[in-house]
Amino acid sequence: MKLGLVIDLDVCVGCHACAVACKQWNTSGTTGALSDYEPYGKQPSGVWFNRVRNFEVGDYPNNKTINFPMSCMHCEDAACVTVCPTGASYKREEDGIVLVDQDKCMGCNYCSWACPYGARELDRVSGTMKKCTLCIDRIYDQELEPIDRQPSCVITCPSHARYFGDFEDPNSEVSTIVRERGGRTLMPELGYNPTNKYLPPRVARPVPTDDVKMDLVSKVKNWVNKAISK
Amino acid sequence: MHPAFSVIFFTVTSGLGYGLMTLAVIAQLTGFGGISEQSVLIAGIASLIFITLGLLSSTLHLANPKNAIRAFSRFRTSWLSREGVFAVLFYPFALMFLFCIWKVNSGEHEMGVGGMVAGVIAATLAMVTIFSTGMIYACLKTIRQWNTALTPANYMTLGLMLGALFLASLQATAQTLNLAMALIVFAGVMKLMYYAWINEPTGSTINSATGFTNGKVRILEPGHTADTFLTHEFGHTVLPSKSFILRSLVFIFGFIVP
Amino acid sequence: MAKTSQAAKPLPKFEDHSKQETKYTTCYMCACRCGIKVTIEDNKVRFIQGNRDHPVNHGVLCAKGNAGIMKQQSPAKLRKPLLRKQNAERGQAEFEEISWDKALDILTERLQKIRETDPKKLAYFTGRDQMQALTGLWSSQFGTINWAAHGGFCSVNMAAGGLYTMGHAFWEFGDPDWDRTKYFMMWGVAEDHASNPIKIGIEKLKRNGGKFVAINPVRTGYQAVADEWVGIRPGTDAMLALSMIHVLLQNEQFDWEFLIRYTNAPYLVVNTPGQKGDGLILRNEDGQALAWDLDKEDFVDATQIDIKPALFWEGKTAEGTPVRTSMSILAEKYLDSEYSPENAEKVCGVPAEQIERLALEMAHIAFKETITVDVEWTDWAGRKHDKFIGRPVSMHAMRGISAHSNGFQTCRALHFLQILLGTIDVPGGHLAKAPYPKHIPPGIKPAKDCAPNTPLSSPPLGFPTCPEDLVIDEDGNPKRIDKAYSWDAPMSSHGMMHMVITNAWKGDPYRIDTLMMFMANMSWNSTMNTSEIMKMLADKDEDGEHKIPFIVISDAFHSEIVNYADLVLPDTTYLERFDTVSMLDRPISEPHAACDSIRHAVLTPDRDVRPWQEVQVDLATRLKFPAFTNEDGTPKFKDYKDFIINYEKSPGIGFLAGWRGKDGKSHLRGEPNPNQWEAYIENGAFFKYELPEHMRFYRFANKDYLEMSKEVGWNGSADQIVIELYSETLQRFRLAGQGLYDGPMPTKEEHKQRLITYFDPLPFHYTPLEEQRIDTEEYPFHAVNQRPMYMYHSWDSQNAWLRQITAQNYLFMNRQKGEEMGIEDKSWVWVESHNGKIRVQIKLMEGVEPNTVWTWNAIGKQSGAWGLKPDADESQKGFLMNHLISELLPPKQGEMEITNSDPITGQAAWYDLKVKIYPAHEGDEGSDPQFATIKPIPNATTPDHVKQHKGQDVGRYQTHEAVNLKRPLGDILTRGKK
Ligand SMILES: Nc1nc2c(c(=O)[nH]1)N[C@H]1C(S)=C(S)[C@@H](COP(=O)(O)OP(=O)(O)OC[C@H]3O[C@@H](n4cnc5c(=O)[nH]c(N)nc54)[C@H](O)[C@@H]3O)O[C@H]1N2
Ligand SMILES: Nc1nc2c(c(=O)[nH]1)N[C@H]1C(S)=C(S)[C@@H](COP(=O)(O)OP(=O)(O)OC[C@H]3O[C@@H](n4cnc5c(=O)[nH]c(N)nc54)[C@H](O)[C@@H]3O)O[C@H]1N2
Ligand code: SF4
Ligand code: SF4
Ligand code: SF4
Ligand code: SF4
Ligand code: SF4
Ligand SMILES: [Mo]
Repeated sequence: MKLGLVIDLDVCVGCHACAVACKQWNTSGTTGALSDYEPYGKQPSGVWFNRVRNFEVGDYPNNKTINFPMSCMHCEDAACVTVCPTGASYKREEDGIVLVDQDKCMGCNYCSWACPYGARELDRVSGTMKKCTLCIDRIYDQELEPIDRQPSCVITCPSHARYFGDFEDPNSEVSTIVRERGGRTLMPELGYNPTNKYLPPRVARPVPTDDVKMDLVSKVKNWVNKAISK
Repeated sequence: MHPAFSVIFFTVTSGLGYGLMTLAVIAQLTGFGGISEQSVLIAGIASLIFITLGLLSSTLHLANPKNAIRAFSRFRTSWLSREGVFAVLFYPFALMFLFCIWKVNSGEHEMGVGGMVAGVIAATLAMVTIFSTGMIYACLKTIRQWNTALTPANYMTLGLMLGALFLASLQATAQTLNLAMALIVFAGVMKLMYYAWINEPTGSTINSATGFTNGKVRILEPGHTADTFLTHEFGHTVLPSKSFILRSLVFIFGFIVP
Repeated sequence: MAKTSQAAKPLPKFEDHSKQETKYTTCYMCACRCGIKVTIEDNKVRFIQGNRDHPVNHGVLCAKGNAGIMKQQSPAKLRKPLLRKQNAERGQAEFEEISWDKALDILTERLQKIRETDPKKLAYFTGRDQMQALTGLWSSQFGTINWAAHGGFCSVNMAAGGLYTMGHAFWEFGDPDWDRTKYFMMWGVAEDHASNPIKIGIEKLKRNGGKFVAINPVRTGYQAVADEWVGIRPGTDAMLALSMIHVLLQNEQFDWEFLIRYTNAPYLVVNTPGQKGDGLILRNEDGQALAWDLDKEDFVDATQIDIKPALFWEGKTAEGTPVRTSMSILAEKYLDSEYSPENAEKVCGVPAEQIERLALEMAHIAFKETITVDVEWTDWAGRKHDKFIGRPVSMHAMRGISAHSNGFQTCRALHFLQILLGTIDVPGGHLAKAPYPKHIPPGIKPAKDCAPNTPLSSPPLGFPTCPEDLVIDEDGNPKRIDKAYSWDAPMSSHGMMHMVITNAWKGDPYRIDTLMMFMANMSWNSTMNTSEIMKMLADKDEDGEHKIPFIVISDAFHSEIVNYADLVLPDTTYLERFDTVSMLDRPISEPHAACDSIRHAVLTPDRDVRPWQEVQVDLATRLKFPAFTNEDGTPKFKDYKDFIINYEKSPGIGFLAGWRGKDGKSHLRGEPNPNQWEAYIENGAFFKYELPEHMRFYRFANKDYLEMSKEVGWNGSADQIVIELYSETLQRFRLAGQGLYDGPMPTKEEHKQRLITYFDPLPFHYTPLEEQRIDTEEYPFHAVNQRPMYMYHSWDSQNAWLRQITAQNYLFMNRQKGEEMGIEDKSWVWVESHNGKIRVQIKLMEGVEPNTVWTWNAIGKQSGAWGLKPDADESQKGFLMNHLISELLPPKQGEMEITNSDPITGQAAWYDLKVKIYPAHEGDEGSDPQFATIKPIPNATTPDHVKQHKGQDVGRYQTHEAVNLKRPLGDILTRGKK
């Protein structure tokens, strides 16, 4: 299997639900707790696996706003794994999920420098590197209803902009939608081969107006009543 | 890897140490510079001290040092792991070499073959270790400034240069001074080449990062208002101005000051 | 969804589900009221997820809903009733903890006196609550007319605009037909109450290939995914909408059948300017409206069905009175060049071609891409139809429209656009949600009089249709403390909460004794002119008595307003209480289903707090309200749950519509069911009654629906609901302004002028009132707010997760504009209005109309409030725009003071604000104004998952030790190429 996410930039409204859902699930998850620094003080921050950024493309008035959630892409050629000296970082053979073994990480941050997608964050308290686990502690949990065996960020997305699935299966929902919508990866030039794909904004169909337009319109109308019974 | 003081300290001190050891060995074996056993011995001991300090500092700056020992396990793919392995392998040979020098110095007996071999191996491992250190940075596709053969080359010349300076200060002979000068100039040229190179437009842009190729892309909100691990760790690579300042500082300290 | 059967290698057991239990209840991180499934591990929340069966959210959850854990953990939670220390000043937050018995005794005694003497001296106002049915009942039982909820400062313009036009509305009263609509136009919405439904809907629309047009000066959030963004100039939407109507009329693109059958467009209107009766609808002796019949060539009862009414007609009655149809007036008005796209472009900053194209695009979808739902239905007159005709153009609009002083007329203008296109309650159009649609307007009139120890004769709030309905005394002066239903704002159907503190402080129209507020942060983000209001709350007169003698606050957290209370009654959190989202209030209905829901306690409080619901019932019982007391003086209900089960508004109708009747088998109407709560809990905490297919559309004229709505008490009668394009109600008030009305008329010149100018029976565009009075050269910018999708008003700065997203708000400004003015990104500037100035930090952006600046709402906090440290960014760098907004309009020489509200509905005009901006001095940083740091509440605690680490607080919440997935050593040593 080659598990990963598809994110639809055509409908992502940037609501941060996925980011918080991720935080909520994972703070009690397999690499939890996720530290929050100064939770009620100055400059509050913490460990997140998924962050939503907003970008603006083009100059006003030809500008478009793009909401952009980013988490681990579970790259096929994940340098974060190759550079890791301890072997704490690894890519699972069976499903391609990239994980960090919390018992083995020495917190050197090297992997985070090898990750172009800013997907890895060090937890200062545990001293270990943390990242998206693709909710491995949900997706295989046989005690959850099948429909719940999906990442927390996916089940919560109000705009249905997130899909989870197996990219190895050409007929899976993710493979199909990526084909149909021309899904892309980020920074392909770096050659990491990210598994996660992003769907570009759709182009809306043009709405014709000629069939409802009068050629010569006059301001003063002498209306001819239509005989319509009440 | 955030150029925290510890890292700079590590690269400078251990670089100096390895360079010094290499030159000490060469000096001893080739008689170059006409340096006394005395000086070689001091240089050797000094280099070990520098190296050890460097290694200690870099180990202590880990967020989770108790797992540092595991750093040797991914020799197969990780230059950081390799650096560690070579750095450790270096010690026995270096010590063996120094032991012989000490014997020689105390006039007990001649520098035997064993001593020489140990010396050569130590010197080689020294260079290999600096090379590995360089490769730790050089292999990062993410940071184009480092992703070049110039990086390890720089580390090695830097190490040798610092070593030479130390040696010269230890025993200023015409040759040691010339060597030092030559190396400074050479390293200087290398760095200049390097900076010329990295100032070319970089590969990945915010556009390729977001996949939007038409129109200027600007970040509106980063999704958090306070600094995070990311902004902390990579702040200076995100801001070119800062990185320039950083680089010019390296330049100044490394070459103008001495 | 992926088939992730069993992982190749067995995985460790990450969760011990046997230690967990799941419960279904209703979220209250905001007013959207989604269904949630809460997983609990030893009285701690492990996970909150959406309830897939729930009609509102269908399983999804927003950012706030996902952060419920951190609300439960908040250090700002109040712990015990608080009494202001004797010698402490209001606002200093010097409290002593007292017992509930003592708290309730103090309060009961005080309220008793008021009720026995002059009940209106209790002013009871509620903010973001969802229990207006209960608080309203409580007030009318107490006997005070001085009650209202947040609607007046929220969006009464949308409610009134809709209810006075088509019997339902935007806001929470209706939704686009997301499954069928092909064209969706969104006006001035950043988030709204339907947080999740709108997101679900927009995705559906786009998946179905529909077009999404967003009209908004700012491009973020929803507007980001819009196919077309119209960066309109704030306050000019009426002009844009009416200009689109201009285009539709010019091209004769409107729904004749719809207008003739379902609206008052063919009704004849008297045309005798300057005379009594001018502009009123022509009626026969038994008061029926008249139309001109094309066949009979005569005047006929317009409500008859066997007629062919003229849509356009002008003539004279037998008596020679000139009359013309509503439609004739309408067409003439909007065809005027004032509303031409060319002129609209000047006002709105939207290109004329674009205005015309958008109008025609909607016409095309409505009339050339008409859809049908092939279901037989019967109209109000008993005629069968074999299908519902659908015009798949839909709209949604909210505070970008309502928060302006021209919002009511603007909202009506939008509805006009929908009505002309025939898109009201039709497939693909804008659908009503039960108990709506109602007759126009709903038949409740506001109570006018209070008497000692007597309940009000009708609810405090209602819908006036003529000056006689105003709540004023014989001299025409206001009777309510907020001056609602007075000549200041005759149709203020939700009251005017934003005026209460100012009026009470002035003693205008009179002094009150006790101000009781529930769930309203009225010293901070929900008040205008914040700095001054803070002073008024603490102000005393010569004799040292507080001008507002006693302030009671029901709150769950240590918010800013709490510090001004004499008595604080601590509430539970939404996971700790029983609550109803009632059909008598604003239920969670969907267009195709009548729904209501409950909350039940899934956690037990760790503090000495009580649900406000319980406290209300308790007080009602102590004060012996008739509805809560038996003849023999014994209490009728033992607690809130008992009250909900057994209270009947009218026979068979109570707070909860589901599982009624002794056996729990009857729905919507039926005897009380002793096990009703259990039934709700079993069924996922909500009740859903699917309307039969033939009752789902054209409900304003759908016989079966109308009869059912009467049967279950949603409507007083089963008569057709005739959509009111032409508003006779507005005309009656206008006549009063003109001195041509038989009945109450205003005496003050300002009032007369306002009635004449703004009470136009047909919507029109006018410049917002503040803008009319200030020098627009001096104050060039419009300043507005947006709701962050991940925060609810002031609530969420206490939320350790959400505040990480935004702990500081910036003032966003158009980049090119900023560069012109030499204002740099991230620099500090002064923002000044006619009412004051604040210092804020600038963020330059592309997606904002150049004359507009904006910020996220309610991020700024008072130092020390909300359990935050005194140096938290919210108070040091964050800011509130409210300081700049005055509750009164800039005064004019020799004129009475006039409220900064819509002249018709009294809606607070937040977004009329105009400002100037200039750089602050080098080094002048941090937000200004700053206020004294609030002391923590007694025995305040930090949550136990927060510990010190390297001299810093670190929160590490988890419900169980993490189970790490280990990588085998063998794998480490052998994997990967050399
Ligand atoms: N997450 C979250 N959800 C909430 C709330 C919350 O605090 N947080 N609050 C709830 C409450 S009480 C309410 S009332 C609703 C309000 O929900 P919204 O109606 O979304 O209220 P605002 O956030 O004020 O959004 C107003 C929008 O109108 C735009 N605007 C301003 N002036 C104009 C104008 O003149 N014309 C046009 N076309 N647009 C204009 C602004 O840019 C902004 O996008 O949200 C409810 N839902
Ligand atoms: N500048 C500007 N001002 C605005 C707006 C704007 O857009 N711009 N929007 C306006 C609008 S539309 C609205 S509706 C108002 C909203 O303003 P408010 O009605 O004041 O709503 P909040 O600030 O969300 O919360 C009010 C209080 O409810 C308390 N509370 C929270 N949960 C509970 C609970 O479970 N029980 C009890 N008893 N109390 C609780 C909070 O602690 C807080 O003190 O703000 C208005 N103010
Ligand atoms: S939850 Fe969905 S819509 Fe919201 S930010 Fe994440 S992906 Fe975008
Ligand atoms: S996104 Fe970063 S962390 Fe994730 S696999 Fe790719 S490189 Fe590694
Ligand atoms: S931080 Fe941990 S995971 Fe990352 S490279 Fe270092 S040891 Fe490996
Ligand atoms: S898959 Fe799981 S861990 Fe990864 S971003 Fe989504 S919620 Fe977070
Ligand atoms: S929209 Fe979010 S916060 Fe509001 S009720 Fe739904 S889940 Fe809760
Ligand atoms: Mo509101």
